Amino acid sequence: MSKREQIKSFGIVALIVFLFCVPLLLKNIYWLHILCLACINVLLASSLRTINLTGELSLGQVGFMLIGAYTSALLSLRMGLSVWLAMLLGGLVAAAVALVLGYPILRTKGVYFTVLTFLVAEIFRLSMWYTPSLSGGPAGLSKIPAPSAINILGITAITFATKSAYYYLLLVIVLLSLVVLFRVERSLGFTWMAIRQNDSLAESVGINVMGYKLIAFVVGCFFAGIAGALFAHFMHLLTTDVTAMFGMLMSIYVVIYMVVGGQARFAGPIVGAVVLTLVPEFARPLKEYQPIIFGALVIFIIFFMRQGLIGLPYYLPLWWRKALGYLKKMPLVKVRLSQ
Amino acid sequence: MFGIPVESLVQSVINGFALGWIYILIAMGLSLIFGIMGILQLAHGEVYMLGAYSIYFFSVTHGLNFFTAMALSMVTGLMLGLILERFFFRPLGGELLPTIMIALGLMIVLQATVTVGFGVTPKSIPSFAPNPAEILGIMLGSDRLIAVGVSIAMILLLYLFLKRSKYGQALTAAAQHREASLLIGINPTQMSVIAMAIGSTLAAIAGGLMGSIFPINPFMGGTALMKGLIIIILGGMGSLLGVVVGGLILGLIDGIAPVIAGPAVAAIAPLFIVTIILVLRPQGLFGHE
Amino acid sequence: MLETIGLTKYFGGLAAVVDLDLNVHQKEIFGLIGPNGAGKTTILNMIAGSLRPKSGKVVFKGEDVTNLPPHSRAQRRIARVFQANTVFPDIPVVTNVRVGFHLHSEIGFWKAFFGGKRSTDSQEKLLYEKTMEILRLVGLYEERDKVATSLPHASQRILCLAIALATEPSLLLLDEPVTGMNAEEVAAMLSVIRVLRDERGITCIVVEHNIRAVMNVCERIAVVNYGRKIAEGSPGEISENPAVIEAYLGVDEDAI
Repeated sequence: MSKREQIKSFGIVALIVFLFCVPLLLKNIYWLHILCLACINVLLASSLRTINLTGELSLGQVGFMLIGAYTSALLSLRMGLSVWLAMLLGGLVAAAVALVLGYPILRTKGVYFTVLTFLVAEIFRLSMWYTPSLSGGPAGLSKIPAPSAINILGITAITFATKSAYYYLLLVIVLLSLVVLFRVERSLGFTWMAIRQNDSLAESVGINVMGYKLIAFVVGCFFAGIAGALFAHFMHLLTTDVTAMFGMLMSIYVVIYMVVGGQARFAGPIVGAVVLTLVPEFARPLKEYQPIIFGALVIFIIFFMRQGLIGLPYYLPLWWRKALGYLKKMPLVKVRLSQ
Repeated sequence: MFGIPVESLVQSVINGFALGWIYILIAMGLSLIFGIMGILQLAHGEVYMLGAYSIYFFSVTHGLNFFTAMALSMVTGLMLGLILERFFFRPLGGELLPTIMIALGLMIVLQATVTVGFGVTPKSIPSFAPNPAEILGIMLGSDRLIAVGVSIAMILLLYLFLKRSKYGQALTAAAQHREASLLIGINPTQMSVIAMAIGSTLAAIAGGLMGSIFPINPFMGGTALMKGLIIIILGGMGSLLGVVVGGLILGLIDGIAPVIAGPAVAAIAPLFIVTIILVLRPQGLFGHE
Repeated sequence: MLETIGLTKYFGGLAAVVDLDLNVHQKEIFGLIGPNGAGKTTILNMIAGSLRPKSGKVVFKGEDVTNLPPHSRAQRRIARVFQANTVFPDIPVVTNVRVGFHLHSEIGFWKAFFGGKRSTDSQEKLLYEKTMEILRLVGLYEERDKVATSLPHASQRILCLAIALATEPSLLLLDEPVTGMNAEEVAAMLSVIRVLRDERGITCIVVEHNIRAVMNVCERIAVVNYGRKIAEGSPGEISENPAVIEAYLGVDEDAI
């Protein structure tokens, strides 16, 4: 491995160790809760990016998140299934729905695809809303159980009664998911890139475009489903109210996480989700301005920082040089500039 | 029929019908903008919503006469449309995904600004025609009749503009075949400006009309955008007539379905139908694309 | 090698291609010409797989491929060079051609998933060599690191050809390969086509407007008008065929 790659790997390992140490340093339950939500958002944003790698923007991730959440919640609540199994099934059902719907949906492209994914997510949400027997009506589905304890060789058990336990659970699952997504991108990313650049040309050199797009779509929706299942068992309550988790605003937020963080790099959505989940918490009184700030932020990023936050190492020197350039041109500024 | 009094069925149909016309105004703007600029103006619903809130602002908060407020609201819509085109859509040069993202950003900014400024609770604008009229023995709200009347008038005006005026014809040409229209010297930027101007003004008018019938809230834009999308998908985007037909169909469904089939079907059926249409025509909604 | 039997295609009520029979022999350079709108590209689309005919068959090496999608046809070594400049815009020339090797680089999903970099490295080296070979053949070696869209028009056409070559085709469909090129560039492209046939045994079907170019490089030519074949034969026979001359009446005289 080259020096650069060594530093990168070391950095990632150090980061992960740090993440595991956080609950030991931070005893504040509220912040642990926020960190947990950040983990879920990271998974959502990354799953969106997977689909985006084929060149399409899906506004339907929350729909599959909803499927994963309700499948897992209902299986564990109503049928007494182990939460571990239920969560996995939540993801699998979301993936299955994506597989079945994927072929017709992926025949569309561009803005039609985006609108279609949004409509499909809305249909899911409304179907749940109007099926109170499943969704619990306006009051929602409550008392969704926590994952059952993990027995370690009968000596001790890891229970999920505390926020820090949840934090570790989410951290581990999300990290594993990211590893999977990363490796999938490593094997299929080049082909996806070709499809993104020019899909009819890709088809003519033998790439089964529909097949590859379908894989991206199903994988992306699987992890959206897992994120939903994690959410359900973490919040213990689900509602399909339009202003709650599974509506248009959340769909847009997921896109914003990905775009503000940086679409082009794997770590982009991760950075975007973490920053945009954590930073608002430092400015709690501004909570009702949040959509304004987020909206303005994504517009700013598109116009001035297309690569996203992850592109800062590229932008900062650029802006610095530009700023120096302007300063030099000002006649009254007599500053000795080193560059 | 279905054990429901005819009277309330008719009322529902008429309600749906009236609302349909208002939504047609929105869909018309959306269709024009998509046809000329190739952009799905997702913040269009918020322009409509701002049109409604402008009326509230001018008439209720500032005590202006309703019609003055309506005129000012139209100007607001027009200005907003021009600003959006010039500063947000033009610089992108039609790039697909960035445009969608900008529109989404604008959507939430505008919606949240109104939420912060006016609050979430619905506001009422005192009706300018509170007395119901009686037609054929059925009581109809005068405001609804006027709304339909104004909508139809706007649509006719638009039709005349597109058919008779030089700019209107250029607009039609640009919508139907972008490359060819460039070859005959039509300025695409000018066309985009006109499209956004007309579309946004119509949206503001629609907002005003809706505000005169129903209480307004900051989230009404989302509903309107959805209706607009459904209409243009149902009716196809190539023609004015298509939008009108699509709007009437949706109005009918919106009117009858809740009474006959319940709120679930009423909410989901239009989405479902439109999804099927989109899937069966993956190449798009303009016949020649 | 490639046969079309009774190929027919309607667009709405318009008959684009009617009852077209073609028989292209192995290692032939076969031309398909006709006035604008005669249906040449539609025919090519049906051979390449991006359109399905209303009736009729496309038979390649004895196999009926009429209903196969384009990527399956590529698997059977039918490659296509599109009409416009169809490249992968934002990536360098060398990567463009590398994509063409997709069919030859199937590593298998699981191996790539679990394997480290080493399992793909040796294959990458081989494909890199092959890419360089193609770039040298078509004359794009010097430009290999330039982004595709920064190339001049003629070079982009050649890049399209290079990408198609990466699939190691036995049949190459060229849709207006020399459109928009000056005399020098046309000559260069034509000589490349000849080399492909002579050195690699690739059968070529050339659809073109530039009649001089077609007469120059093709051994047999079919002429279509209004979707029907009106003549077929050697360049000499075609240029004297009265039906052909009539079809082209109104076209500039020095085109024939």
